Formats: sequence, C-alpha cells, structure tokens
Amino acid sequence: MAPAGSSSSGSEAISLEHLVQYLATTGQIQEDVNQTLRTFGTKDTREVILASKLPSGQDPLELLNAQNNTLGYLYILSARMSFPNTPPPSLPLIEAFCKDFNPEHARFAPDRVTALAKAMVQAAGENLKLILEPLRDLATRYPPTPSHLTTLHPIFLTACVTTRHFATALPILSSPIFNIDTSLSELSYNDNLIYHYAGGVAFGALKRWREAEEFLEICVTAPGQIPAAIQLEALKKLTLVQLILYGKATAPPKYTNPTLIRILKNTPYHTLAKAYPQTISSLTATISRDIDIFKAEQNLGLVQQVIQRAPRWLIRRLTLTYLTLGLGDIAKEVGIENEEEVRAVVVSMVESEDINASISVDGTVTFATSTAQFSKAEIDKAVAQAQAQSQLLQELERTMNSSKEYLVKAIKHKDDAWGPDEDVMFNTHPGGSSWTDENLYS
Amino acid sequence: MDIEIDEPEFIAPLKTTSNKRRYVLPIDDAHPFDLDALGSGAGRTVVDRLIYLIPTCPTIATQAFQLAVGRTTQMRDTTLYQNLLYAYEQAVAVAGTGNPLPAWNELTPFDQSWVDETNRKNSEEKIKLEVELKTYTSNMIKESIRMAHRDLAEFHRSMGDYQTALKHYAKLREYCATSQHVLDMCLSVLELLLEQRNYAHIPTYVFKAEPALDATTNSLRNSNQGPTATQAPLGKEKIAAEREKVQSKLDLATALSHLGQGAYEKAAGSFLKIGPIKALGDWAKKVVAPSDIAIYGTLCALASYPRSAIKSHVLNNASFSVYIEQEPYVREVVEAYMASKFKTVLDILERNSTRHMVDIHLSSHVQNLVHLIRSRALVLYFQPFASIKLESMSLAFGWTPEYLEQQIVGLIQAGEIQARVDKQNRILQAKRTDQRAALFARAMKAGSEMQATNRKLLLRMRLQQADLVIKAPTKPQQSSLGHSGEIHQSDPYR
Repeated sequence: MAPAGSSSSGSEAISLEHLVQYLATTGQIQEDVNQTLRTFGTKDTREVILASKLPSGQDPLELLNAQNNTLGYLYILSARMSFPNTPPPSLPLIEAFCKDFNPEHARFAPDRVTALAKAMVQAAGENLKLILEPLRDLATRYPPTPSHLTTLHPIFLTACVTTRHFATALPILSSPIFNIDTSLSELSYNDNLIYHYAGGVAFGALKRWREAEEFLEICVTAPGQIPAAIQLEALKKLTLVQLILYGKATAPPKYTNPTLIRILKNTPYHTLAKAYPQTISSLTATISRDIDIFKAEQNLGLVQQVIQRAPRWLIRRLTLTYLTLGLGDIAKEVGIENEEEVRAVVVSMVESEDINASISVDGTVTFATSTAQFSKAEIDKAVAQAQAQSQLLQELERTMNSSKEYLVKAIKHKDDAWGPDEDVMFNTHPGGSSWTDENLYS
Repeated sequence: MDIEIDEPEFIAPLKTTSNKRRYVLPIDDAHPFDLDALGSGAGRTVVDRLIYLIPTCPTIATQAFQLAVGRTTQMRDTTLYQNLLYAYEQAVAVAGTGNPLPAWNELTPFDQSWVDETNRKNSEEKIKLEVELKTYTSNMIKESIRMAHRDLAEFHRSMGDYQTALKHYAKLREYCATSQHVLDMCLSVLELLLEQRNYAHIPTYVFKAEPALDATTNSLRNSNQGPTATQAPLGKEKIAAEREKVQSKLDLATALSHLGQGAYEKAAGSFLKIGPIKALGDWAKKVVAPSDIAIYGTLCALASYPRSAIKSHVLNNASFSVYIEQEPYVREVVEAYMASKFKTVLDILERNSTRHMVDIHLSSHVQNLVHLIRSRALVLYFQPFASIKLESMSLAFGWTPEYLEQQIVGLIQAGEIQARVDKQNRILQAKRTDQRAALFARAMKAGSEMQATNRKLLLRMRLQQADLVIKAPTKPQQSSLGHSGEIHQSDPYR
C-alpha cells in the first residue's frame, strides 16, 4: 500500500479516499507526510478536499488514529474547523486529539497547530470554558519543554482570563519561560507580551502577587524600539501589584523603555503610589477624582485591594518605631476607629508572618524584632538552586562561545586588533563567566 | 514700584507680608528685648526693622513708633512714613481693646507739611539729576555719565524705589572704566539687594564682584611695584586690609543670601568666614549689626554642623569670637550645647525667641533652625544610651513626655535615631540587630532575586536573538493593544 500512497501524492486529481489510505499507514517519515499534505492538489481544492467526507459518507477521521496519524488528523481537523461550509467536528473528537496527539509529529506543522487552536476559540464562541481543557493539553504537550514559549500559550491564557478560570492556567504558568524557538511556532512579539500580561492578570486574580509581579515585569520590560500599549497597561498593574506586595512601588529595571516610565508619571497610578501608604480615608480621598479612570481601565478592583492593604503597611511601619503599642494607639495611627478591627488586622498579619508580634490581655501589642531564621535544609536548597543556575549559565556561555556568529565576530575582531584572549576557542576557565556577572548585577 | 490701582499705594507692598504674621510676641522679663540696640543702627534698615517689629510687639510698639518717626523724618522717603503709620495701626488693632495703645496721632501729629515739603524737594532733586544725566550723555563724558547714573540710583534707593535704582546701576555698568568702578557698583547693588531682602539675586553680584576684586588688588600691587610710583605707596598691609574690607562684605552678603534661601550649612560657613568688625565698615551699622551676625552664624552652625566642627569653627575661631562678644547669650548657648546641657540651650533660645522673631533676616527661619537644633540635641543626647526612660529624657529637655515622644517618633521615622519606643513602659530602646541573621536574610534575598533576574534576562536575550522585538506597527492605526481587548472585558479582580 505504501508505494501507491506515495505515488498518488504527485498525481493531480487526488481523492480524499487515497489520501486517507496513505495517511492511515503508519511508519512513514513524518517530514514527507507533511510535505505531501502541504502540496497535494491545487491550492484551491486542498482545503476543500481535506474538509470533505469520504464518498461512502464515512468520516475520514474514523479511519485515522490521533496518536499514530497525528499529522493527517491535524490537517483534516484544522481544515474542517476553519472551512466555513462544513460542520465543525464534535468536541469529544477535538478533546481526544488534544489528549493523544504525538507532539513530535505535530511539530512538523506548527502553523496547523496554531490554526487549530485559534479555530477552536472561534468555534467555541460563548462556551469558551468547554475548550479550556483541550487547549491546556495542547499547550502542555506541544512544546518540547515547559520553558518554551509557543503561540498556544497566549491563546490558552487569554481564554483562561476571559472565562475567569485562572487556576486552570496554573500548571502552565508555574514553569517560567526562558526558551524561544521560532521554528517551533511562528511567534511574534505580541505572543510574548500577551502571554505574560495575561499570566500577570491571572496570578493577580489568584492573589499570588510575587508571580504576578514577575510576569507583569517581563511584559513591561520586553525588548522593543517603541513601547506597546499593552506594556503601559502592564506597568499600571505592576505598580498596583507592587504596592500590595511591598507597600511601595519599586523602580523598574534599567532596561525598561523610558517612555513608559514617563507616561506613567502622568497617570493617577503614580499619584496613588506616591501617596501610599496612608490611612484608608485619606487614600480614598486621593483617588476619588480619578476613580472613573481606574474603573474604565478595569483596575478598580486592584486599586481597592491596594487601599484595603494600606493599614497593614502602616502597622508594619510602626514596628520600626515602636516596641510596644496599645491597640488604641495603633487604631489612631492607622486611621481605623474600631479596636477590634485593628486586632483582627494585627492577628492576620502575625498569621501571615508579615510581622512578629504578640497581643497581651490588656491590648498591648509587643513587636519583637523580626529576623528571619533559616533552617539548614532551606539554605541547602538555596545553595543547590544557585549551583544549578550557575551551571545553566555556564552551559549557556559555552554554547554561545561555540556558536558560529560569535566565533566569526571574535576572529574578525582578533584580526583587527589585539582582540579577546585565546580562550575564545576553548572557553572553560572560570574567568570567562565574568561578563554575565557584570551584566546582571550592574 | 508695583502698585495695585485700587489700593492706596503705600499699603500694597506691605499687606502681603504682614498678613501672615498676625501673632503677638511677648516682651517681658522672660523675653527681654533691647530696643536701644536696634536703634543704634543707621540708615533705612533701622526703620525697616522697626516697621517689621511694630505690628507683632504691641508692648513696645509705642516707643518703636516714636523712634521710627524720628528716623524717617530725617530721610526723604515719604512712602516709608506712610508704611510706618500703617504698621502702627496694625499694632493698635492687634493689641485690641484689652490693652489699648494710643492712636498714632496722639503720639506725633501727622506732619503733612513735612510730607509736602519732602515730596517737593524730591521731585526737584530728581529733575536736577535727570537733567545732569542728559547733559553728560549728550556730551559723551563717560566718567560723568557713570556718576550721574550712580547719583540717580542712590537717589531712587533712598526713595525706596529699588527697581529704578537697580536699573540705573545696570546702566552704570557700561560706563565703568576700572575694576574699582565695577567693584563699587557691585557693592552698592549688594547693599541695595540686602536692604530689599532679595536673597536669590545676591550670588550673581557676588560672583561679579570677585574677579573685579582680584583685578583691583592686582592693579594696586602693580602700581606699587612700578618705579614711577610717585604717590604715597600703599603698603602691603594696606592692600590686604582693603581687600579684606571688600571680601568681608561679600562674605556677609553671601551668608545672608544662603540664610535667606534656607541653606543653613552654607550660611554658617560664610558667616564664620567674615573678617573683623572694622572691615565691614558702615555695613555694620547700615546692613547688619555685629551682634546679629553672631546670632545668625551661631544658630546656623548649631543647626547644621557636627559637634567637632562647632568646636573648631565657632569656639576656636578668633575673628568670629569678636562677634560673639557682642551678644553674650550666644556664647552661653554654644557652651551649653558643647557641654550637652540641652535644657539650657533650649531655655536660652526660648528666652531670646522674640529677639529672633522680629529680626527681618532671621524671623522666617527661626522655627526651622530651632527645630534642627532640637533634633540634633535629641540625637546627641540619646547616642550613649542603650535604653532610657522617656521620663528622664523629658526632664533633661524640659518638655512634657508626650511632646518628647512625638519628637522622637519623628526622628526615628526620619532615620535619625536608631531606636524604638516602648510606648507601654515609656522607654526608648536602641535597636539591636542580629548581624548574623540579618546577613543570612540578605544573602537569601539576594540569591532569589538574582535567580529571578537571571531568568528574566535569559528570556529577554532569547527574545532578542529571535528578533521578537516590539516594532512600530506598519500601519499607524494598528495598535498593538488590540489583542488584549478581550481580556479587558471584565475586571478580573472584583
């Protein structure tokens, strides 16, 4: 059967029947299969054929197996979903494919994978949450490692955020992205921006502020010649998240686009960050004028959380000034009238280890000096992490040093002048890592 | 002069300043004040100072008023006379009905004839001077034009019209032939600016004067060495003395300018540099009295210098101690401060608060200076202690414990005192940090921060390698925000 299949691929009038037969055979070289699927027939008929049914009225997909004939399955599925006049395939079929497809095969046709995911979102319409599961499978299984960014990431994340199923995104979000491979899928800078922005939004909604900060910061500091509007939105959210996390807005990294920072200075977000922390009533007065802006930019919820947290920062500041304080004194300082309410805040702060304090019967709060203690296990873990990190960096450096581009440049430079040291070629000695250090910590 | 049309012209400039200070300063045994000392000065400054004083000190307003009227009528500025009357009326209003002051016309009848006479003389003088200037200008006699401008400037200055005076000084500059002329001009302008209390402008003229001073000194020295010097040669000391005279004036002007702009440390430095009293010449009477210099310099130094610098620059400063002799309480303050008797320091400052508050140059800075001195005193006092009862500390400063606590909390929050307040037991306790634990915490934090940074930079590098860099959209309408629109449909945090 196999030779017949391959010979038919060249013929002009190819029928779906032949194609399916060809596809159903296992064990071909996947690159050829992809090539066949991409080039058979004419440009106009190709998608029509893929989307049609067998002459017997049978569904071609029934003859194929998602795991063994991934590429064929993928082509037919995506053709059917994006072709206007054919009924879309049933949801269980899609779910099954997403669960079972062979990622290595699928990587030969990245554009079809992306198209499938996009078509799924489109077809789902209002019922977006039904396809979250298959989208997640797709996004988890398709990339070779979890640290790779693909076009599926932003699609999935956007779907999660739109449907407010933030926790569904966690498995994907929990592994940081640090690999970009454009042969894996056709990435654009927007994919990176949207993925990290949506990730930041999701973490924020789950109140995992530290991660939210990191994701938003990645979005804000993405390399670029000009700032994107989404980066400004991310920076606004980042400012609010930092207020929640640290009680103040920290300066963004040096490589942030200065235009963004300048624009932010003229927004109410900057005003709020400068006033923070104060008593709830005075903060409310501060933002009262700008409340419509916050509302319009969909950040009012976050702003309110920022304001609700202000007393905690005020109490935190008191611990630096006082050893003991009555609940009444605290109440006066942070602008809460009710002593019981203050007690609740203090207790919750002690519980979350924000402060190290004890409340005695008469309502005296004693702040102990809060120095963090580390167990041996924690320190060992940190050391191990650091070692892994440095190994990774070393590895990276070696790859870089042996890359063609670098070598060409280095040798050219050597001809020009004195140039870099001999260890350009065999860079293994420890001094070689100095450039990373300088870059990172300067 | 800036005149608002609907206001009587003499009130307009004064009203803005006097409205701010509608409080009454006590003058009694606890707050002595020596009006005679103030009256010993010369020139317009005395009247300015008296006008400044009258509305806030009703107790001595009557005497001050009489003194001021006496001085004013010797001068030619009729608006000053009006200002004086207005200031006294204010004092009457402040004193109220409880302790009424006699109305001004009971003290000295309004001398209309003097006003008319002076006004007439003034306009005659003005016309005369202007005609002179015109004549010289048409004759193109440079030196005469310079002098005519100078005379006009001085005339307007004596009338209190500083703007016109400055204008003439500026014009005069073009006709300066020697550096001595430039120097004279600068000094006159400085004197005028000080009288006007235009502190921001002073440095400009000081900078202009300094090269002129150098040039003058050099030319004097050269003419000395020249073999044909027929005139009585000026001795080296004489040149040095001449130079010192000008330099001292410049230092004083700089110091007052710094003080006026709130740069207390710089002001202290300049005050402490000023040469001997006699070098100041008539400025000691016309601009600032030596006793005032002692007060300004000392307060600025106490507020901004560390203890060792106060010892070496104030106490062991031979020329400045001459000034300090003029005002004995200043030495007491410094000595008490050095001996850590802070209560005495604060008592003396309080005792002389009226003296400070009515001083035209010092008044707006007294509160700042005293606040700074107090803060330094508190920091110094606590330094040797590990913990101290707020009670005993408040005794040492003569304050209520509540007030003390408030001050200390402010200083802790500003990071001046490394300590915490035990509010329940009323103890101030120095902070002890467990260095080992702190180091661990710092290292762990740095470690995790570095890892996060590495991660982010790695991604950034990869993005750049793959050329996923944000570029300007090819079509201008196409906003890159478009994609996030769907996320924005609902606020996920509510």
